[in-house]
Amino acid sequence: MLRSLSRRKLRTALTVLGITVGIWALIVMSAMANKLTALVDGGSTYFDNKIVVTDATNPAFGFGLVPMPVEIVDRVGRIPGVAVAAERVQFLLDPNNTGSGFGAPDFVVGFRAGFDQGYETFQSEIAQGRYTTLDDENRRVVVLGADLARRFDASPGDSFTIRDEAFEVIGTLEPTLMFFDTTAVIPWAAAQELLARDEALESEFGADIPVLTSMVIAYPEPGTDYRAIMQAIEEALPQTRSVTGEDFDDQFGSTIAIFNAIILSVALISIVVGGLSVINTMTMSVAERTREIGIKRAIGATRGLIMRELVLEAGFMGLVGGLIGLGLAAIVVYAANDAGQTSGTVLFLLTPWIGALGVGFATVLGALAGAIPAWNAARMDPVEALRYG
Amino acid sequence: MAFLKARNINKTYRLGRNNQVRALRGVDIAVDTGEMVGIMGPSGCGKSTLMHILGLLHSPDAGTEPPPSLMIEGTDVTALSDLERTRMRAVKMGFVFQAFNLVSTLTAVENVALPAEYAGRRRPEAREAAEDVLRLVGLESWAGHRPMELSGGQQQRVAIARALVTRPALLLADEPTGNLDSENTGEILELLHWFNKDRGQTVLIVTHDPRVGEACSRVLTMHDGVITNGHQG
Repeated sequence: MLRSLSRRKLRTALTVLGITVGIWALIVMSAMANKLTALVDGGSTYFDNKIVVTDATNPAFGFGLVPMPVEIVDRVGRIPGVAVAAERVQFLLDPNNTGSGFGAPDFVVGFRAGFDQGYETFQSEIAQGRYTTLDDENRRVVVLGADLARRFDASPGDSFTIRDEAFEVIGTLEPTLMFFDTTAVIPWAAAQELLARDEALESEFGADIPVLTSMVIAYPEPGTDYRAIMQAIEEALPQTRSVTGEDFDDQFGSTIAIFNAIILSVALISIVVGGLSVINTMTMSVAERTREIGIKRAIGATRGLIMRELVLEAGFMGLVGGLIGLGLAAIVVYAANDAGQTSGTVLFLLTPWIGALGVGFATVLGALAGAIPAWNAARMDPVEALRYG
Repeated sequence: MAFLKARNINKTYRLGRNNQVRALRGVDIAVDTGEMVGIMGPSGCGKSTLMHILGLLHSPDAGTEPPPSLMIEGTDVTALSDLERTRMRAVKMGFVFQAFNLVSTLTAVENVALPAEYAGRRRPEAREAAEDVLRLVGLESWAGHRPMELSGGQQQRVAIARALVTRPALLLADEPTGNLDSENTGEILELLHWFNKDRGQTVLIVTHDPRVGEACSRVLTMHDGVITNGHQG
């Protein structure tokens, strides 16, 4: 098989190129769809067991950026069905960068360690160092999300600047494919201090800025009706807005599904074109080799052997095209992601699963596309084939 | 004992709705083991068609009275499936064609090894057998060359080596010297003769060439799809 392919270099190269382009498109598009899905799935999981309460004027879904007096936390906590209500300060790492692409902008988040009293089910794993504890409350320490740590090349022991203040990095997180990756977690007290420096707050609260929270994370009792609790919160605190997992799914799920369908359709069209190119090339190849097939049949090659030889050849071209397509797609994905890191536009998520699926698909497509001309070749009358050409 | 025995072999080619050609009209033929039989006759007399049928590349017409019979080593092969016929070709027969019919992308030794691979030998063994038989036809130093790098005579010697690599019971040659000059014709005939005499190879040759006919132990003459006469060479 290899010797046959290697002795028809141009034809082999052109077929492989056709598949390469198709698989390249399929993998790149799938990586984009995968990234979007991962973002949405991560968000859906995160919001699943909690109600996030923000100021009604808050501009972002589920991310509190408009501070409220911290007393509101106790009021949410007293609503029947709420097991734990916890405060959380959140602000942009760079006030001028609100993020323009996919994913979340860089955030600073401040909370007291153990605020959830064990109710939080979403766990971000530590990659290096450790998480904050209550003993860190009066220290300037930070735990960095995976993207931030990578972008700022920070690891435990390094210094990290937040709003002109130096913080010691004590830990970095494993990638979560969601906003945790671009989040810097600092102790509650430090976050409160930095937040209070915001000049806009002075105009709202005067010189004596109260203790603030950007949002309230409410964990309902297990088995309670989230909608009823959210309604109760909004009735008791009309200045707030509550969201939970269902809202998140409503807001993003269907949009992303349509978007993904469009992306994958484009990719599938590319692959169909690639497949037709294999059929075309293999048909040409069989025509070109009619006499050779006749000779082989005459001297003892069975129909099955002829079929197998041609199908393996086509499948192998598919495999090589798939591998090259995967390689090129990986280069594009990593280069585009790297270029997009600074602006937060990380568009692609290429997983081994997508790669394996793409290459497997190319191989099967090649073999299937080769099967039709191979079947015709195997059924040729050897004497007729010998007279050909 | 007859190695091959065929009775009432007919073959009609349908070229269009009202156009058919009766290439063979009730041919009877028997070839003994170790014979070198020539089939001669003018173009279009049905020589090649007969060889294709005896070589199991085509089937005789069915439905004739009496029905056709083709026995090879005592086995009736007329009812065999395509797969069984192909296997029998691979194991029991070797073919030499006028146009050499070597696979152009393969080297001489790869071409010669092909039937051995089809007959079930592993590639290294097939290659070893191919090198041995290439030595017998005097082309061991050309083993790595592709057909286009060889002369016509050399290509036909490679084709003979390919036909004999599996040591088949029957060698079928269709105008083996048709594309060769006088010198190369002599060499090929010498080679076929040597295989027939020294190794007891049964050979059936279709030819126009009287020199080939002279080299055969028996010559059958065909005319309009029937064997008109036969004589000992």
